[in-house]
Amino acid sequence: MLPFLLTSGLTTGALYAMVAIGLVLVYRSTGHINFSHGELFMLGGFFAYSLIMFAGLPYVVALFLAVILSFLLGVISDRLVYRPLIKAPGLTMVLATVGFSYLLKGIGRYFWGGKGEYLSIPAIVDPAPIFINDIPILPQQLIVLGAAVAFMVAFALFFSRTKAGKIMQATSENPTASYLVGIRVENVYTWTWGVGAAVAGAAAVLMTPLTLITPDIGATLLIKAFAATILGGLGSMTGAVVGGFAVGLIEQLASGYIDTSLQEIAAFLVIMVVLVFRPAGLFGVYGQRRA
Amino acid sequence: MLTVKNLNVWYGPTEVVRDVTFEVPAGRIIGLMGGNGAGKSTILKALSGLVVPRGGIIEFDGKSLVGRHPRDVVEAGMVQVPQGRFVWPGMSVRDNLELGAVTRTDKAEIRRTIDEVMTLFPTLSRKSGDRAGQLSGGEQQMVAVGRAMMSKPRLMMMDEPSAGLSPKVVEEMVAAIAALNRGGLSILLVEQNVGVAAALAEEAHILANGELSFTTTGRQLATDPQVIRSYLGR
Repeated sequence: MLPFLLTSGLTTGALYAMVAIGLVLVYRSTGHINFSHGELFMLGGFFAYSLIMFAGLPYVVALFLAVILSFLLGVISDRLVYRPLIKAPGLTMVLATVGFSYLLKGIGRYFWGGKGEYLSIPAIVDPAPIFINDIPILPQQLIVLGAAVAFMVAFALFFSRTKAGKIMQATSENPTASYLVGIRVENVYTWTWGVGAAVAGAAAVLMTPLTLITPDIGATLLIKAFAATILGGLGSMTGAVVGGFAVGLIEQLASGYIDTSLQEIAAFLVIMVVLVFRPAGLFGVYGQRRA
Repeated sequence: MLTVKNLNVWYGPTEVVRDVTFEVPAGRIIGLMGGNGAGKSTILKALSGLVVPRGGIIEFDGKSLVGRHPRDVVEAGMVQVPQGRFVWPGMSVRDNLELGAVTRTDKAEIRRTIDEVMTLFPTLSRKSGDRAGQLSGGEQQMVAVGRAMMSKPRLMMMDEPSAGLSPKVVEEMVAAIAALNRGGLSILLVEQNVGVAAALAEEAHILANGELSFTTTGRQLATDPQVIRSYLGR
């Protein structure tokens, strides 16, 4: 049973890791947790669903278009919701992201819900499993795993090697200092919300062939990804990926060896245990640093 | 160079700067002094574009900067070294300096400016790869001044550059500021340390309760105990 649990845990872990990467990206730049991130994932999946099922576009084209639409949704959300609150207290921003999540969920239900159906899109590759040491693995699972690692490497390089990445980090560490050297902090935030949403959209398009999608998937996924970022260390890109895989594996192993009901509460247990025993997480460096 | 006339700044219902007028001529060091809550830092925030004044004139070389974005202020040639240094602690010294040149595109010139910073503060050249957050207070102040130099300003606004530093480091900082001024940089110096202000500023404006009380010379500032007692709370 162990190989199956590990395979399943790594795949769901890759999903959590990708969603967590988006959360970390926004947190690193703006210093805020985006509680509407799960709903951005949900809409990204529905964008792809409509582009493939109704517009008849090939999967790869739909992926790119869904990512672009998700990016635009992130930019619009910044201009309509977050930028007006740019100087508001942190708690106001938390409430704004929570409120926006409900708006997005409503949009999802209006256009793609209402029938109690779970929707899916065809896999990008042959859905027949391949066997590695007698363990059946879906090719789409490997794609998701590869994509999660690729995203982590890409963003790590982005933050450490590019001027844009350093500007985002500087803005996160001290927005006032960033203003004073001439950084247009508002524009950095706009790009960050956009890219964060695009990552959520990409994760959704990659995962939807494996997991069904519903308008209510966002909140559940957010908790799992949040547990991943807490475990990995809030603000750490490496931590988001390691935490994502860890939460996925913990869920599956606890479900398989102890009780299936643990699958649903494993993420909450992870959050509680980490916050009590290691609040900074495994790789946390950003937690208490924002000036 | 910099002209400030009848500047008024409010925080919500509270007026914190009232009808403040002064000038910073090119190539000079002008002090802005006063006790805590006198409005010194608020004036710098208004000049930097961090807060929008309710009234008054801010002109830099004849160009109005009232209500402009901080980037416009930097591009115009004015930059602030904030109180408390505000370095980016998780980033290297070199990254801190390079981002100070975010408004510039000339890479060769940016490298030359980094060399100038390293020449002024040799300590930074030895620690260019270290995280700024790991440096001492004095070294962080050097990073903050160096970062401000990176925008190639013509006027530098310094908010209490000696605060929290040891006497030896204060001496080094005074020497560095004097050297920058000799190189042609105009400086608006906000300072509570009378010794530092007297050593650097040719002219000092004394603030009390958000208003300009009077103007004196640096030399008088150091020798008039009544001024110090009455307006600087010492």
